Amino acid sequence: MNRETSPFRTPSTGASPTPKHASLTASTNLRYSLTRKSIYDRHLNRTKTSELSKSAFAFLFGEMVQHAQKKVYGVQDLEKKLNQHGYAVGQRFLELLLWRDGRTAKRETRILGILQFISHSLYRAIFQKAADTLEKVRENEDEYMISDNDPLVNAYVSVPKEMSQLNCGAFIAGIIEAVLDGHCFPAKVTAHTAPSELWPGRTVFLIKFEPDVLEREALRVGG
Amino acid sequence: MVMVIMAIQLTGINRVVYAVLILNKAGGLIYQRDFNPGLQKLSSNDYLILAGTFHGQVSLASAARAQVHAITSQISPTNETTSSGLEVLESENFVMRCFQTLTGTKFLVFAEPRQPNLDVVVRRVYELYADYVMKNPFYQIEMPIRSEGFDRHLAAYIKPHQ
Amino acid sequence: MAGSSTSYYFVIIGTKDNPLYEAEFGTFKQGGDGVPKFREEQRHMNQFIAHSSLDCIEDLQWASKEMYLKAVDKFNNTWVSCFLTGGNIKLLLVHDARSDEPIRQFFTDVYDMYCKTLMNPFYEVNMAIRSQIFKAAAKKYL
Repeated sequence: MNRETSPFRTPSTGASPTPKHASLTASTNLRYSLTRKSIYDRHLNRTKTSELSKSAFAFLFGEMVQHAQKKVYGVQDLEKKLNQHGYAVGQRFLELLLWRDGRTAKRETRILGILQFISHSLYRAIFQKAADTLEKVRENEDEYMISDNDPLVNAYVSVPKEMSQLNCGAFIAGIIEAVLDGHCFPAKVTAHTAPSELWPGRTVFLIKFEPDVLEREALRVGG
Repeated sequence: MVMVIMAIQLTGINRVVYAVLILNKAGGLIYQRDFNPGLQKLSSNDYLILAGTFHGQVSLASAARAQVHAITSQISPTNETTSSGLEVLESENFVMRCFQTLTGTKFLVFAEPRQPNLDVVVRRVYELYADYVMKNPFYQIEMPIRSEGFDRHLAAYIKPHQ
Repeated sequence: MAGSSTSYYFVIIGTKDNPLYEAEFGTFKQGGDGVPKFREEQRHMNQFIAHSSLDCIEDLQWASKEMYLKAVDKFNNTWVSCFLTGGNIKLLLVHDARSDEPIRQFFTDVYDMYCKTLMNPFYEVNMAIRSQIFKAAAKKYL
């Protein structure tokens, strides 16, 4: 009856009056695809149990690394770029994970809590396994290490000799950094290759918190 | 009991593979590695010539050198367009197995004579190539292979006990 | 206050205390039509009230692990309720009667929609949200 010829239509909710003073909420044209479904009609758990082919991921990740390589001047720059890509993923993954926990969702308020969240819940949600170790750096109060014996992103990556400093795990480091940042634990996370005899691709993610994080933590212990 | 022993031999735990060569679709040598002594050592230039000779893109009429792969596919008694060219070469001292992918990349495996199941070996090399070379973001297609992961996994497969 | 019918002011605050989205609506309960009935001078007061509650939230967020902090601040007869997401995005609702449970459900729905917004690769954290979709959640619970 009321069919429209245009593939896009404006939802009726968009027609409601907007406050005069609120320029932020200027009237919107939420677009509907041909299936008449917007992103808000899809359930967030739709892809919770679906699996991705490791090859598909490897090719996609490889393309990402190649793309990032085009616009950089050195290894550090490339790692920064990969970190940024991971950061965007981490920001989204964090909210999605907490959303999936529903009413039992908890924000972590302590350093140890958030690190455990990362090395267990987050790692398991992304890679289907927990991180291999979580340690504190003995010499430095503000540094922690999460290690992964065989990071998925590096499964097929062989770094050329002239770029031996590079570890594409910088992508995962970016994810970790985003989660820490999201919970107000600003930190710098870097990926380092630390091969062991059994695990030639072992990678350590070094987490260095900013000073005010430790300050706050100390205050909370005192109070 | 005899059957069991045969089966173990067939899976080739102690296979002796002399060398693996990979040729790109233009006939250039992109990978060469010796695993066991048995073949005569060649200079790197000789390996390149060997690869080019074996490959033979040039048609037989204009070819100055003998181009083994091209010749064999052309002298095939069946329809020449369907012939895949040389696949196995056997001599007293070695056996060579060639496998050509759909895109024209060739895998050559040199092994001890009467080595069983070489086609399985060559397939596995192809698989490792697909994984650790083609999925490596730092590999430029058709260029010489310098992939530490490929080296490692190839060695682990061909010489598992060393 | 705004007479017999309840009105709400809803705002999403980003990680840098920047507003991402704001909306006003009236109650849909008891035959309400959803039209906000704030007096003109109350409308900008709402923004001030929401803004001043941010300090309270920053104190509270370290005392509790809950995402829903319930009513966090009160100014005269106006309450501020807050829901804090994992990414430190604050959902604030300014309202004039305390009712924790319906507001929790409202926030849960909004969080669901916020997550969906965030899944959009063209949307970045702290970007203004231009969809009016969040009002739909108000219809169900408030």
